Amino acid sequence: MNYILHLLIMIGIYLILSYGLNLVVGFGGLLSLCQAVFYGIGAYASTLLMMKTGISFVPAIFISMVITGLFALIVGVPALRFRGDSFVLVTLGLQMIVFTILYNWVDFTRGPYGIPGIPRPVIAGYKFSALHDYLLLVAVFLVIIIGILFIIYKSPFGLAVKALRDDEMAAEGLGKSPVHLFLYAFVISGMVASLSGGLYATYVTYIDPTSFTLDESIFILAILLVGGTGNRIGPFIGTVFMILLPEALRFLGLPDTVAPNVRQMIYGLTLIVLMFFRPQGIAGEYKVQ
Amino acid sequence: MTLLLQLLLNAIVNASVYSLLAVGFGLVYRSMRFFHIAYGAVYIIASYAVIYGMDSIGIPLYLSLGAGLLIGVLAGIAMDRAVYLPLERRGASTAVLFIASLGLYILIVNFIALMFGNEVKILSRGMEPSFQMGSFVITRMQGIQFLTGWIFVIVFWLIIRKNTFMKGIWAMGETPALVMALGLPYRAMRTAVFMLSSVFAGTASILTALDVGIDPHVGMQALLTGAVAVIVGGVDVFWGWIAGALILAILQSIAVWQFSARWNDLITFGILIAVLLFRPQGLFSPRKRREER
Repeated sequence: MNYILHLLIMIGIYLILSYGLNLVVGFGGLLSLCQAVFYGIGAYASTLLMMKTGISFVPAIFISMVITGLFALIVGVPALRFRGDSFVLVTLGLQMIVFTILYNWVDFTRGPYGIPGIPRPVIAGYKFSALHDYLLLVAVFLVIIIGILFIIYKSPFGLAVKALRDDEMAAEGLGKSPVHLFLYAFVISGMVASLSGGLYATYVTYIDPTSFTLDESIFILAILLVGGTGNRIGPFIGTVFMILLPEALRFLGLPDTVAPNVRQMIYGLTLIVLMFFRPQGIAGEYKVQ
Repeated sequence: MTLLLQLLLNAIVNASVYSLLAVGFGLVYRSMRFFHIAYGAVYIIASYAVIYGMDSIGIPLYLSLGAGLLIGVLAGIAMDRAVYLPLERRGASTAVLFIASLGLYILIVNFIALMFGNEVKILSRGMEPSFQMGSFVITRMQGIQFLTGWIFVIVFWLIIRKNTFMKGIWAMGETPALVMALGLPYRAMRTAVFMLSSVFAGTASILTALDVGIDPHVGMQALLTGAVAVIVGGVDVFWGWIAGALILAILQSIAVWQFSARWNDLITFGILIAVLLFRPQGLFSPRKRREER
């Protein structure tokens, strides 16, 4: 039973991540390889705020969302001057740089030693430490965030970002500024990722930089590419598929030593096959260009 | 001061391996205009083929070096035939090729990790002989890396300059459609590109593996080193790639001298982002007019 609760919590955390990134990848049509940066900054910022200054969970999450948003704003301004390959490269470079800093700035982040003993969230005097309590907490955040994101998806802003994706010059001619709109999408998706980071840190109660590597960014992007982007169902299918796939392998009786590699092989193969037969993902509406 | 000069000497040796990586990556990136991530997988395949040949079959080192290179080349060509070429026939965009290539990389690297384990494999055992030159030390392996690297690069440059077929490959990057229109052998040219690219990847891989060993996850690092060198130097200038590799190696050595090797990624990707921001065509490419792009 605990096992199923754990899976549901992880699905919840990744759903928040993938619905946030959907705004950049699916609506904006920009392949971003730095989502783990915002996820990691969210995890580290909320952890350090809670453990060093002693403020409680909810304000810590909000402050770290603001910090991540500001960071996304600062890096987004130069990064969003690029499209296509160059944008992928810039976000990849950012991912590598932030990981190096998290890993080597030992005084601040404890580097490779990680931060153990992160407290479980306490809201209004109630401590969310049991698994089913935590699942409830994640579910509440998920409903709030997805509600907000679905409104954004259908708002004039969301449609304008889509228009920029489909034909940047035409949309710009209608007065939709790619500079501003892509930047807002990038910042919103960074802030949403920051929230998942905070939830992840307080759920696992231990973080180290290896949870926020380039591989993690590729994994988050792969969720969207497999499930499909640009609509409301794609990220859900992608998340469920990518999180439950390794568990399905476990039931097939694969030993734990080979399971991680087999899982990665399957998702590598899935990407190749999808590019042949369904470049828009299982349930997506947007084909990457 | 001696330390700095020794580090610069090491940088020049490293640059010869980086140049190999850059030429291999640059060839595909220049002539096909897409990001060949599975290049990192070719890098891994070549060295692991050598290890398999030596440890499991038991053929001598020199034979397995050749076999490793050959298998790397075959893998590179197979990737093109099985994935890239069919995708291109379907009119795939560069992003689709990029993602398929990423999938290919993940698939192959994890397959190798599954077969051989995730830990570092050592190719050469025992102490490496080294030579004293004044107050500097250079190991035999470094000497081999330096000579092989520069011989490959210079010979390759001479071939591109003289050989019509290779000139065609260079021109393919500018107007791919013209290749078919002029009746040049498009498929043969593609195969040649992947063959040569894999030769460079395999050589760099084996040279590094002989020195410090290899594990299945260094392919990404190798790919990124080559890619950053090419983009920093300028995609359209052959010697720019080499200069990019040299700049990367020297700055990393200076970083080792001043801080520590742990900050190397910061240097590599800092340069990448700085160049993309301030000189997107690369340091050594001439500025293009708008209508030329």
